[in-house]
Amino acid sequence: MVKVKNRKRVSVDDIQKRRQVQNEKKKVLNPFEVHINKEKMRILGKKSNNQKGVPGISRAKAIQKRKHTLLSEYKLQHKSNKFIDKRIGEKSKMPTDEKVAVRFAAFKAKAHSKQSIFNLSSDVLSHKEHTLSEIEKFEDLSSDDEHDDDDRGKLDSDFIEEAHFGNGVLVNTGVEGVKAHKNLIEQLIEESKKRKAEQQKIREATLELTEKLDSEWKDLVQLVSKKSKNDDNKDENKSKVDDYDKYMRELKFEARGTVSDRLKTEDEIAKEEKERLEKLEQERIDRMKGVVENNGTKVNHRSADDLDDNFVYESDTEENMLSYDTTGQSNVHVQAELNGKIIGEPQDNDEDNEVEEEESGSEGEEDGDSEAESEDSLADLKDDIVSDDENEAESKPNDLPIKKDKTSKLNTNGDLLENKSNKRKSLESSEKSDDPPKSKRQKSISEEENEVDSQSNEEELEEAGNELPFTFNIPDSYESLMETFKDKSCNHQKVILERMIKCNHPSLAQGNKESLGVLFDYILQYLNDLFTDIESDKSIKQSFQIFKCLMPHIYNLAQLNPENTHKSILEVIKEKHQEYRKKKKRRPGVEVLVFLKLVSLLFSTSDFRHRIVTPCFVFMEQMLKCCSVKSAADVSYGLFLCTLILEYTSLSKRYLPLSINFLSGILHMSIPKTSVKVIKVVPPFKSLSSDLVLTKKCLKSPVTDKLNISVLLQTEFTNEFKISALYTALKLLKDFKETFSSYSSNVEIFATIESYLPQIPIDLYPERVRVEYKEFIDELEKQKSERKLYYLVLEQKRPKALRLYEPKIEKVYDGKRHKTQSREKAEREKLVQKLKKESKGALREIRRDKSFLARVKINRQIQSDKERREKVNRIFAEAASQQNELNTLDRKKKKK
Amino acid sequence: MAHPEKPVKISKILRAKAQEFLESHGNPDILNQIIKHFDSGVDTVSCLLALEMIFTNLLRDRRMFIEIIPLKPVENTPENQHKRWLKETYEGCYSMKILGCLENDSPRIKLQGLSTAMNILACEGRYPLEAKGTLENYVPLGKLKAILIKMLSNKQNNTNLINKYTEYLLYDDILFFTWKVLPSLTAKSNPNEIYIMNYLVLLEKLQIYPNTETKYMCGGENVSFFTFEENITKRCLNKIWHCIMYWIHTPETLRQLLIVLLEKVLVHLEKPLLLTDFLMDSLDVGGPVSLLALQGIFTMIQVHNLDYPNIFAKLYSMFEPEIFHTKYKARLFYLSDLFLSSTHLPENLVAAFAKRLARLALLAPSEDTIIICNFIGNLILRHPGLKCLLHNESGVTASTDPYIMEERDPLKSNAINSSLWELHTLQNHVQPAVANAAKFITLPLPSVEWDISSLLENTGDDIFDKEVKKFSKLIVLQFEQPKGLSLNRGEKVSMYWEFD
Repeated sequence: MVKVKNRKRVSVDDIQKRRQVQNEKKKVLNPFEVHINKEKMRILGKKSNNQKGVPGISRAKAIQKRKHTLLSEYKLQHKSNKFIDKRIGEKSKMPTDEKVAVRFAAFKAKAHSKQSIFNLSSDVLSHKEHTLSEIEKFEDLSSDDEHDDDDRGKLDSDFIEEAHFGNGVLVNTGVEGVKAHKNLIEQLIEESKKRKAEQQKIREATLELTEKLDSEWKDLVQLVSKKSKNDDNKDENKSKVDDYDKYMRELKFEARGTVSDRLKTEDEIAKEEKERLEKLEQERIDRMKGVVENNGTKVNHRSADDLDDNFVYESDTEENMLSYDTTGQSNVHVQAELNGKIIGEPQDNDEDNEVEEEESGSEGEEDGDSEAESEDSLADLKDDIVSDDENEAESKPNDLPIKKDKTSKLNTNGDLLENKSNKRKSLESSEKSDDPPKSKRQKSISEEENEVDSQSNEEELEEAGNELPFTFNIPDSYESLMETFKDKSCNHQKVILERMIKCNHPSLAQGNKESLGVLFDYILQYLNDLFTDIESDKSIKQSFQIFKCLMPHIYNLAQLNPENTHKSILEVIKEKHQEYRKKKKRRPGVEVLVFLKLVSLLFSTSDFRHRIVTPCFVFMEQMLKCCSVKSAADVSYGLFLCTLILEYTSLSKRYLPLSINFLSGILHMSIPKTSVKVIKVVPPFKSLSSDLVLTKKCLKSPVTDKLNISVLLQTEFTNEFKISALYTALKLLKDFKETFSSYSSNVEIFATIESYLPQIPIDLYPERVRVEYKEFIDELEKQKSERKLYYLVLEQKRPKALRLYEPKIEKVYDGKRHKTQSREKAEREKLVQKLKKESKGALREIRRDKSFLARVKINRQIQSDKERREKVNRIFAEAASQQNELNTLDRKKKKK
Repeated sequence: MAHPEKPVKISKILRAKAQEFLESHGNPDILNQIIKHFDSGVDTVSCLLALEMIFTNLLRDRRMFIEIIPLKPVENTPENQHKRWLKETYEGCYSMKILGCLENDSPRIKLQGLSTAMNILACEGRYPLEAKGTLENYVPLGKLKAILIKMLSNKQNNTNLINKYTEYLLYDDILFFTWKVLPSLTAKSNPNEIYIMNYLVLLEKLQIYPNTETKYMCGGENVSFFTFEENITKRCLNKIWHCIMYWIHTPETLRQLLIVLLEKVLVHLEKPLLLTDFLMDSLDVGGPVSLLALQGIFTMIQVHNLDYPNIFAKLYSMFEPEIFHTKYKARLFYLSDLFLSSTHLPENLVAAFAKRLARLALLAPSEDTIIICNFIGNLILRHPGLKCLLHNESGVTASTDPYIMEERDPLKSNAINSSLWELHTLQNHVQPAVANAAKFITLPLPSVEWDISSLLENTGDDIFDKEVKKFSKLIVLQFEQPKGLSLNRGEKVSMYWEFD
């Protein structure tokens, strides 16, 4: 403010001064010099700045100006150089002593400020851009040997000889004279540059290698030199080391504890686990809902001012307030959706990995323990199991071919059968093993198995754990896995699998993840063989027992390599479906059920769309739709499928019509048919089939809660089966009804079933079935009466806002007509106008310049002519005077 | 292993014998031997081949041709006698032995018999036994008729034989003369089912127009010994159809008949309106037959201006749950799409269709549910009045669906007062494809109809393949460790099944 004030004052002063000057000038102004422009028409309000002028004065001014600029230039025309005296003190006339002193001072200052390359005294000595003091330290190891042969970067002697001596004249280049010489020089320069570059390259490479070698050596040197140092220099060191040094070193090299996270308490671990599960559950629910929420009709808040220009107005809630914490992290997580991909969303994979790592860490520790134990236990255990330690190393590089082997095996049915026969044998032999020491134990195990007791099971597990070796390598082929599993009880197999996984955990070695994937493939193959072409009740039960035992570890295995799990299971399902596709009416084997169950155990079946589960649904649907129902096995197969569907959909509460169709078919089969009235039924059921009809009263026959798995092999329709089939069907229907209770057309879904139910001769069935039947009918009635149907209403369409344009506002009204045009155009027009004006002015100036110059020229001409005339006159005068003298002399002579 | 070698040897022997016979200028013993062997019933195929070889060669060499000079009795030279004997044997063999094979049980012998008979027939056509007017070639009609009689047997199903015969129908002459012969072979009164089946299968294979590539079986390439007249074939067809229509049909033959009618015959009939009664009767049979009849009636309505008042009720009654398991469901969807393509239908009628389809979709296989969803969508697009099925602002709740499924008359089914709750339910279908198809009821309707025709032939396999190929990087595993065989949540299998 102060400054501004001052400036104001100054300006006021200035103005006053200027006025004074102007006044003076005005006083001087000769009225005869003023020229007043004549005005033809006077327009009100128009400001004209050229009413009057002073042509004489301005012309004089212009001429003066030209004299300074144009004339000086003209004078210097055609003169290429000039002398400027820059010596200090020449222009300003100072005394000589002073002049000398000043000049010396300037010279000194110059010597100090500017580093001259020839100034040795004041500069630090250097060699190759390094100071000599630096070089003397000999730190740069690379510098010693490379400088020996300094001539490497230079031209070879032949070339130099030719080029230097005789200036290349000796060589006949074909082109003579200056040109040849020029070429030669260019060539020379080029050559030397090239050589230098090459040398530089080589030097850098060697330098790099040396450094690498050094660093490696540093790592090694501790190992190598430790011993030798200790040995050789023991005496010397001992003598030298005194207490101080020792303490100092101790302090220096004392192992310092690194900072690490503290161990988590159990509560914390539990809490974390809970949070993890909650998060996963939330994700599962999101997937279950599928894409509905993503691109549904729910729209973000839009303000009334929204112009459809995708500008998002952030709502000012507290969550969205941007702030930074102490570490500089913003609290707002940037999240944006771009083409369906979510950017910046916290990746769940990472989370998973972390969890895995945690697990692996803890397991790694365990592994260490078990391995330590195994060392001594392996020594005394002379087991028949081939632990192929040698193969371990080999198996890893062989992973890929093995995998290929495996897939091809899965694809070829012949191999499956072959393996199956192997398996058969192994199963039988496991039952009646001849190996005396093992057989006893196995017998006892199998006996115990029958009375399923969790406690005894655990004991068994322990026993099995103690018996078996602690390390297992991943089998390098399917046959070797079979070999390992052969003659083993399911608990043994369980332990073997567990240890295989633990010993080859991905955290332990690099290739383990892949080889576990291969192991997973083998296990699938094993399951396949276990369940293909099962005939006896006993074997099916045993197979399921094995499956049950292995399952937790199969789950673990699957978790370790999810990609591979996906791929393998998808392959299996595809293969099975291909097989089934050939004959749609024939029901596939039990192994398909096992794989479908495996899918429900391994994958989240509630997803809206899942790469594996969805094809499985299609597969099940087709089986329910097409497979003919002729035997008890067919019925129970279908019931199993329905159970699976119920299980798949129990969380997501989704709907597969064919399951209801099948169950209604089962009910239909239990209705006795009369020839008069045909009760319609959907294929594959026949409208006249009555295989499940109970012919006599079986009030007393026992009803089991669950169907035994062995009915999958039963062909005959026994009374017992008929009862339990109906019972199970009713229970399943009830369960389905519960699942569908939220649907709007839940009554219609069960309409056919409702029509079948009264026709079943329920009086013939045992008490439990009747109760179930009654309950189901009641529930259906209840559902029917309680249902409330809300008419479908489409969501209100939002009215689309009108599009608004920029308002048309004119700033000033000044009576002038302005062209309505864009700013750019107006700007341009202005510029064009200015250009015209300026170019006119410039032309005028040029013309004046020219006339000025012409005037100068003519003046000079006149001047020189004048001089000449004077000269001539003078010479004439001289000559006349001379003549006069001569004449006088002549006259004198004559006189004489 | 010795057994399979035997026929090879015998066929060789037989061929050698035939060769011998031909070289020996017709030694009767050898021919008799072959015929005897033929009668014994073993190695029939080889015998047929041998006979074919003998007779085609004889015909080609004109060794059975007895030249008849007008107004001059045939000389009784031993040569002529021999010729006469050959001719008699030839005729006998052809009618008894070779054609007899067409009734054999073994399909292989049957097919061989047909090919032998046709080859000999062709040979005779090219090298006639007797001069017939000015023509050099002719089609031995008697022999052709005999073959056809055998084919249209009333004892066994000759479908494969007739399929083989289609190869010969590529020859214009055979096709034309088959048409000419056929009316005389058509049974006037009620024949049995097998005959009808054979007849219809043959009729299905015959075409009215000459083949695009002109080929003659009995005659050289450029010799035209007859002209293919479409008028004649059409007339024959009409004649035949007149008989066939009055036969008594079983459901299978009726179905076959309708297929033939729709695909081949209807366009060529002179008075198609005569079919009306027949089609109406067929319409009441139910199942696929009525569907086919419906198609026929549609053509009649469209092309021949037939007026059939109750057609929509018929169509409506065809939508039963069983329809999804028949082969004709694609045709039904196609037809109903055609029928309901008019925008001038009453709204409550179309609503009834939409509602019924939705009900059926509740219990239909996935692939059909997708079709139905799109179909209903199309109906709503065509008839904007149906939007009330999706959008009812009255705010009233109902306890039961006003639509009456059991009502046979679509106009009385009260569908217009209902709402498409079924589609709402189907949004919960396990198949994402179905659930997405059913979602259209909550989204704004598109301006273009869904294309159903591409979906009609879809099967579950297609859906499977599609789902398998669907590329998604998301790998999702179950995150809760199972206990044994049971899940932590939603376990059902072990609730219903006992594993030990």
